[in-house]
Amino acid sequence: MENVNVQNQQKLEEKRLHDRAQRGKIIRSTVYYVCGTLLAVLFLFPLVYMLATSTKNESAYAADAGSLMMFLPDFKNLSAAADNYGKVFTDYGIWKYALNSVLYAAVIIVLNIVINGLAGYVMAKFEFPGKGFFSFIILFLIVVPVETSIIPLYSIVKVLLGLKGTSSVLAVILPSSISIFNIFLFIQFFEGIPKEYEEAARIDGAGSLRIFFSMILPLSKPIVATVATFCFIGAWNDYLWPTMVLPYAEEGAWPLYPIQSALTSIQSIQGITTGEIMASLVVTSIPIFIVYVVAQKYIVQGFGSAGLKM
Amino acid sequence: MIGSTLAILGVLVAIFAAVAVKDVLVSRRKQMRYNLKNCLVSYGMMMPAVVLTFIFVLLPIIYSLGYAFTNFYLLKPNDIDFNGVDNFKQIFESIRSKGDMYHAICNTSVFVVCVVPLQIGLALGLALFVNRQKAGVGIFKVCYFAPVVISLTITAYLWLQILSPSEYGLLNSFLKLFGVAPKDFLRDPDRAMLWIVVLSAWQGCGYQMLIFLSGLTNIRKELYEAAALDGANVWQQFLHITCPGLRSTFLFVVITVFVGACRVMIQPMLMTGYQSHTVTLSYYMYVQGYSYRWVGYSSAVALLMTIVIGSITLLQRRLLREKD
Repeated sequence: MENVNVQNQQKLEEKRLHDRAQRGKIIRSTVYYVCGTLLAVLFLFPLVYMLATSTKNESAYAADAGSLMMFLPDFKNLSAAADNYGKVFTDYGIWKYALNSVLYAAVIIVLNIVINGLAGYVMAKFEFPGKGFFSFIILFLIVVPVETSIIPLYSIVKVLLGLKGTSSVLAVILPSSISIFNIFLFIQFFEGIPKEYEEAARIDGAGSLRIFFSMILPLSKPIVATVATFCFIGAWNDYLWPTMVLPYAEEGAWPLYPIQSALTSIQSIQGITTGEIMASLVVTSIPIFIVYVVAQKYIVQGFGSAGLKM
Repeated sequence: MIGSTLAILGVLVAIFAAVAVKDVLVSRRKQMRYNLKNCLVSYGMMMPAVVLTFIFVLLPIIYSLGYAFTNFYLLKPNDIDFNGVDNFKQIFESIRSKGDMYHAICNTSVFVVCVVPLQIGLALGLALFVNRQKAGVGIFKVCYFAPVVISLTITAYLWLQILSPSEYGLLNSFLKLFGVAPKDFLRDPDRAMLWIVVLSAWQGCGYQMLIFLSGLTNIRKELYEAAALDGANVWQQFLHITCPGLRSTFLFVVITVFVGACRVMIQPMLMTGYQSHTVTLSYYMYVQGYSYRWVGYSSAVALLMTIVIGSITLLQRRLLREKD
C-alpha cells in the first residue's frame, strides 16, 4: 500500500516537473516568435509601405497619413491603383526602359559566359607558353580592390567610343561583359571536369571551340546558371555607369536608359504623385524578386563562392 | 593618350613575351614540347577576354595611377601635362581650408564608423537568431533578406518618401501624432548622414546574415554537444565555440562591409544631391571627375582613397588573423 503511494507521488512529481519544462518551452517559443515577428516588421515595413502607397491617389495618400492605413492598400478605390500603374506604363513609358534593361542584361549574360568561359577553359585545360603571366594578372586583379577607377574608365570609353548616340550602348555592354571573378569561377569549375571526356571528343575529331560549346558548357550548367543569375542582377540593378555613359533620350526617339537610370528622370517629372513614384519603384523591383525566387539555388551557390574571393 | 596606351601595351606584351620565352626554354630542357596548334588555339580563345581586360580593367587602373600626377581635363584630352604633386597640394589645401574635401572625409568617416558595427552587429544577431531548427524560421530568413533584393536606387528613392519633409511623409506623419512638427530629416546637417546609415544597414545586413549563417552551419554540432555535457552555458558556448569558428567568416564580412562603406555614394547622390553635409569621398571624386571633368584631380583623390582603404584593410587582416 505504502509502496504504491510513494510510486504515485513520484509520478506526480515527475509530471509536475515535466509540465514546468513544457511551460518554459512554450514561453520561450512565444518570446522567440514575437521577437522574430517584430524584427520582420522592422525589415518589411518600408516595402509594405511602398506597395500600399502605390495603390493610392494623392488624396487617399494624404488622408491615410499618420494612421496604420498607410500600410494597407486603398481597397475602396481600386481604380486608383490601376491609374497609377497605367500612367507609369503608358505616359512615363517604363516598359521601354524595362525592355532596354532586359536586352542589355541578355547580351551581357551571353558575352560574359562566352568570353569568360573561353578564358576559363583555356586556363583550366591547356598548357601554353606564358600561362603564368595570365595567372598572375588574374590573381592580382582578384586581390586588389579596383572600384575607384570609374573616372579613368569613363575617360577611356569617352575617347574610344565618343559616346554619341546609339554607339554609347556599347559602353554599357562591353565593360560589363568581362569579369575576372567569373573567369576565376569558371577555372575552378572546369578543373573538376575529367580529362577523359575531352580526349574522347578529340579522338572523334571535334575542335576546341566545338568541345567548349557542345560539351564543356552543357556539363557546367550549375556554374553557368550562377554566373547568368549574378550577371542579370548586376545588369538590372546597375545605376551609376549607364547614367554616366548614356545620353538623355531625345523627344520622340526610343530612350536608351535602362530602368534604374530611368527612375531618376521619372522622379523629376513635373506633377508626379507619390503613388506613381511608388508604382514605378514596385515595377522596377518585381523582376528581381522573381529572379531571386526562381534562381534561389544558384544564388546560394554564388554566396558560397563569394568566400573564395578572400 | 594614344601614345601612353601604346607604351603600356608594349610593356605588358614585353613582360608576357619574356615569360613565354622562359617557358619555352624550360620545356626544351625538360624534353616536353608544347603542341604548336594547341598554343595557337589557346591564344585565340583567350583573345576576347585579354583585349577586354586590357581596355576596361587594366588600363583604367594604370591610368588612375598616372592621371593623379597630371592636369588631365577631359575636354582637352590631347593636352595632358605632368604637374607633379600639384593635385595632392590642392587636396590638402581643400582639407586645410575646410572645403568640400574636408567635409567628404568627415562624412565618409561618420558613415563608416556607424555603419560597419551596426550592419555587422545586426547581421550576426540575425544569423544567430535564425540559426535553429524551428518551424517558420525560413519565413523569418526571407523577411530579413528581402531588402537586399531591391537595388540601392530603389532603396534611396523609397526612403526619400519615408523621410519626406512634407507632413504626409511616413515618419513625419507618425511624429505628428506625438505633436512633433514636420522635420526635413535629410537637410539636418547633424543627422542626415545618420539616416543614410540607417537605411544602408537596413538594406545591406540581410546579405551578411546569410554569409554568417553559412559560417555557422560549418561549425560542427558535436562541439556544442560536448560543451553542454561539460556544463558550459549558452554564453560560454558562444564565446569559446561560435566566435573562434566564425573568425574567417567575420574577417571576410568586416573587410567587405568596410570597403563597401568607404565607397558609399549612390545614397547621398540620389537623396540629397551635392551638399556639404552629406558629400562622401566617392561622391566628391565623381563630381570632380565626371561633372567638372577634372580627371587628373579626381584620380588623385581616388589614389589617396585606394591607399587609405588598402592599408586599413591590410591592418584589419593582420589584427584579426594574429589572434590565432
